[in-house]
Amino acid sequence: MTTISLRLGGHLSFYAPEKQSQLTLPLNQPAGLADILQGLGVPLGEVAIASVNGSMVELATAQVKPGDKIELYPPMGGG
Amino acid sequence: MGYGSTGKILRVNLSSGAIWEETFDESFYRRYPGGKALAGYFLLREVPPDTDPLSPENLLVLANGLLTGSPIPTTSRFTAAARSPLTGGYGESEAGGYFGPELKMAGYEAVLISGRAASPVYLSIEPGQAVLKDAGHLWGQNPDVVEKQVRSELGDDRVQVLQIGIAGEQQVLYAALTHGMRHYNGRNGIGAVMGSKNLKAVAVRGSKAGLYRELASAPQDLAALGQRLAKEVKNHPQSWDMHEKGTVVMVSGFQAAGILPTYNFHSGGFDGAAKINLDSIQQELLDGRDTCFACAVRCKPKNRSGGPYDLNADYGGPEYEAVAGFGSNCGIDDLQAVAKANELCNTYVMDTISTSATIAFAMECFENGLIGLKETGGLELRFGNVPAMLQAVELIAHRQGFGSQLADGSLRLAQTIGGNAMDYAMQVKGQELAMHDPRGKVNVGLGFAISETGADHLVSIHDTLLQNPDSISFKAAQALGIKNALPARLLNEEKAATYFICENWVSLEKVLGLCFFGPAPRSYMQVADVIALVRAATGWDIDLPELLRIGERATNLARVFNIRNGFSPADDDLPARLFNPLEGGALAGVAYSRHDFAIAMAELYRLKGWDPISGMPSPETRERLEIADL
Repeated sequence: MTTISLRLGGHLSFYAPEKQSQLTLPLNQPAGLADILQGLGVPLGEVAIASVNGSMVELATAQVKPGDKIELYPPMGGG
Repeated sequence: MGYGSTGKILRVNLSSGAIWEETFDESFYRRYPGGKALAGYFLLREVPPDTDPLSPENLLVLANGLLTGSPIPTTSRFTAAARSPLTGGYGESEAGGYFGPELKMAGYEAVLISGRAASPVYLSIEPGQAVLKDAGHLWGQNPDVVEKQVRSELGDDRVQVLQIGIAGEQQVLYAALTHGMRHYNGRNGIGAVMGSKNLKAVAVRGSKAGLYRELASAPQDLAALGQRLAKEVKNHPQSWDMHEKGTVVMVSGFQAAGILPTYNFHSGGFDGAAKINLDSIQQELLDGRDTCFACAVRCKPKNRSGGPYDLNADYGGPEYEAVAGFGSNCGIDDLQAVAKANELCNTYVMDTISTSATIAFAMECFENGLIGLKETGGLELRFGNVPAMLQAVELIAHRQGFGSQLADGSLRLAQTIGGNAMDYAMQVKGQELAMHDPRGKVNVGLGFAISETGADHLVSIHDTLLQNPDSISFKAAQALGIKNALPARLLNEEKAATYFICENWVSLEKVLGLCFFGPAPRSYMQVADVIALVRAATGWDIDLPELLRIGERATNLARVFNIRNGFSPADDDLPARLFNPLEGGALAGVAYSRHDFAIAMAELYRLKGWDPISGMPSPETRERLEIADL
């Protein structure tokens, strides 16, 4: 498998190319999650929760590999 | 041109039938400029300590915020207040929609209602004329019927009808108010107070759509601000998100963060979360969005009708609180059933948070054998039991069978059940926790504990918004004087200081009539915008410190009210469960620190200038806030 699944929760999808919440991105080899997001234009400062395959990870150091399922959420403040 | 206010209040005594107007001057309004501040002022002055909340002596206040009715997005809210039958303290609940703006267009900043009518009535308000009308034929009817009938009787489809439902008539202690079947003053049981007064509805029709501009000091500035902010709504990520996804986006976010209340706050993760999250709601329920007066955010969900539970789209769709409350917290992953429970609460007009949390509490009591089929009248109230949950909602609204005990809320029911039932009651001061777990955002816990209204999630800014120095929320919050971004689970004296600033800001929002989804750091409207709006409306040379002091004053009015009604620092506490570790989800094992909580609360008392023994704002504090004479 040479893609990753990326879920941009909350207002993170505002920064996606077509403001979509669900993206499938090509990925042939392991890469830094932060680098991928920067490539997409998602500000890292807006990411509060990052999980890969259901486990929470540190955004700054997280590595992802082809086939991974990634979920990202901004801070959510109630209401 | 004026200072943004009509300077008029409508007074109604339901016992005598007397209706009259009162006026106030600009200096009074600058101290108590609407909403929570006006409500606190009148409740403190006119409701003596120990007044029975459901007696004629309680005062029902409907008060507009300073900006309510202005042509600005997210400024439509009004406050409904009284001594709460649920908590026994200062009771308050805000709603957006159209009632507040219509009241403003009718020429009033507030309506103050005392006494009790001999038989059901409704109050009709038009500019220069207010009358009481018979509502005997409306008693027992649901909001859609009542709204239609009242509009027909008054001969105007544009009348805004604020009303109680069957829950308010039955004096369910967490009964609410609604108008338009979309907008709810949900919390603190204000609907029970209105029901106790035999007041079915308040119908209002204004005549001057442009009145706010006429009253504003600088109408052109206000109009320019409105145009700019309406554009900003669509271009700001947070308000864009509220429009696109609404509040239910939080289900997946909290699930991932490990703070989605589950099984009566035992866990922060729910196996069925995917069945009740935004994706499922968009696929199964959502049919567009509704809005409030002059608001471009348009966050209110509209449902599709039909489905296995024959949903009625007239009553809107579930917000996050109802989805988590009837869903994960009751162990239910049947989205259609969750939507039905929400619809039933909306139909009978009662708070979805307290209704669902009281049912979750009863489910835990049932699971642990503290109550059985005998006590529940045959209702098998187990987690995940959809028919039992839906039946419980019906029984509560009509105060039938076991529902009559559920209708009094989890605190009273725990006292009745006895044993260790109190350990399961997730409430503060008698009001049930909203669907936010403080173990993952600690300042929400401070708010639950110290709020004058009992456990309330909308009294400060949630920590998660202020933990990253590079986030748009934190950058916006710096204008409030917040210097450091702090981790969401760090609870210390600096966090208490952040809480204090944010509490004053959020309290101000309730004075001004601002929606929680308007101002920074939660959304698009910057601190400087809020200051500019108040200046344009009033002409006052007002700055942030004075505005924050107005918010602080409003909180302290309510605090004094509570202390005079017997509350003490011991009441500023959290349910014991929160000091135990979460049993599941991504934060499994994480507890709220009792030690850190004590340190933060002590600091918060110091910052607020409250006596640590009595809990009363000190004489110096009351002097500083200019409420020493109240």
